[in-house]
Amino acid sequence: MAVLGIESSAHTFGVGIIENGKIIANRKRMYKIGKTGMIPVKVAEFHSKNARSVIESAIAEAGISIADIEAIGYTKGPGLGPCLRVGQLSAKTLAVSIGVPLFPVNHGLGHIEVTRQAFHMHDPIALYVSGGNSQILALDEQPFRHYKVYGETLDIGVGNMLDNFARAAGLNPAWGSTVAKVALGGSYIQMPYTVKGMDFAFAGILTHATKALSYTGVSDVAYSLQETSFAMLCEAVERAIMLTGKKELLTCGGVAQSARLKEMLSLMAMEHAVRFVAAPDELNADNGAMIALVAEKMLYSGARPEAPIINQRSRPDSAVVTW
Amino acid sequence: MRLIAEGAEALIYSGKFLGLEAVVKHRVEKHYRIKSLDVQLRKQRTKVEARVTSAASSVGAMVPRVLMVSTYDIYMTKIAGVRLDEFLKGTEGEKVAAHRTLFSAGSELGILHNADIVHGDYTPANVIVGRGGDAIVIDFGLSEITNSTESKAVDLLLMKRSLNPDQYISFANGYAKSAKEARDIMQRLSAIETRGRYKTRTLITNGDVTA
Repeated sequence: MAVLGIESSAHTFGVGIIENGKIIANRKRMYKIGKTGMIPVKVAEFHSKNARSVIESAIAEAGISIADIEAIGYTKGPGLGPCLRVGQLSAKTLAVSIGVPLFPVNHGLGHIEVTRQAFHMHDPIALYVSGGNSQILALDEQPFRHYKVYGETLDIGVGNMLDNFARAAGLNPAWGSTVAKVALGGSYIQMPYTVKGMDFAFAGILTHATKALSYTGVSDVAYSLQETSFAMLCEAVERAIMLTGKKELLTCGGVAQSARLKEMLSLMAMEHAVRFVAAPDELNADNGAMIALVAEKMLYSGARPEAPIINQRSRPDSAVVTW
Repeated sequence: MRLIAEGAEALIYSGKFLGLEAVVKHRVEKHYRIKSLDVQLRKQRTKVEARVTSAASSVGAMVPRVLMVSTYDIYMTKIAGVRLDEFLKGTEGEKVAAHRTLFSAGSELGILHNADIVHGDYTPANVIVGRGGDAIVIDFGLSEITNSTESKAVDLLLMKRSLNPDQYISFANGYAKSAKEARDIMQRLSAIETRGRYKTRTLITNGDVTA
């Protein structure tokens, strides 16, 4: 028996299939983001066109028949409304037609849980860093078992910050990978540094860096922007480690693909004797398997399926962790 | 000097300084960030903390006295007592004492805000419960001098997130008693809380389940 998950919160339409915690299929189609960024309805149109073929190819990859599916999960949010709606509709249609329960899943929870499972982590601190989200979370039992948000961005996500800067510098926006390339060989200029407790903010540094492009070389600006913003994340995580005393740290989400961020987190974790892992790149990119995994955990732990809604501002800390 | 505590950014040593019981807060090098940024942050925070702690002391707030400052070290008078977060954990039987201390933590913050001192990290871990249950405020490393209503409200928010509703009421009463602009600042706090990202966080702290 297997659980199928559909992810469609942004530019990826992904379908994954899980069997007893193991990924047996993970297929996707990605909308190509040009210089204009993502226009939600255009992306949603792309998803609708591809939904059927991605679902079919995932089922074929898993080598199962549709009758083997015992539950369906889909991303309820956060994300772009029109895109989320395509995933929700596909999932609903499929669930109704084969008569299985339907589980709405928070996107961030998917990233965290798939990483936790891949590395057999028990009780980690999670740094979830993507385009729209940047949060520090850890399991907390009060008032119910959930991922408590210890710290988060007060304005924009670190990925959006890097992408916006990339566009201003005439680079391709890609979770900071192009910024990282340009940063090689740069030297440090001072940038605004905003950490408040375990929260942080990126709008100020983005404005500063964009302005600095007019009087400083792009390499120096990219280098300083990357070093400063990642140091802010590391410091906030370090505070969460000290506060909670937890001994495991994971990072996940699109920006967790950054080699420099992983290096910094790993140095920081080592100083506190904390085990550190980063999700492999194929799981850091948006994918359906992580949604299927959470849906399977919900199913097997007896969670009651919620109303099949979407919520563009869904938060990981409002989900009850029943497993 | 012997090591008595390890924070996220500093080591705290205890010993004698000019015959006084003193602590030294030493900001340690962080190898995960580049040297120039590391030096800049540690210098700046040491300077700000020393300056604001002294300013807080001069307006009558209960804070350590700064004895000496060097590049990365602050020598301060030693405060005897336990951290408020630890105090609250072990205080089931002495609720009255806890509420007096929370009231005092609120009124100390009011004194700071009246002088436009924003703490920047006002959580129970940065309040020491001294003799007689008085609250003593420490760790001004993230503080700033500003009259911003928003920044002051965030000080309240950080504490509110760490307390249960009963505890927060005692804290807020203490604050309302001493802060001149308590009304405006608390109104701003409510406004911040209705902004999306804080909503569930605050509700969870209050024990309500929304999902």
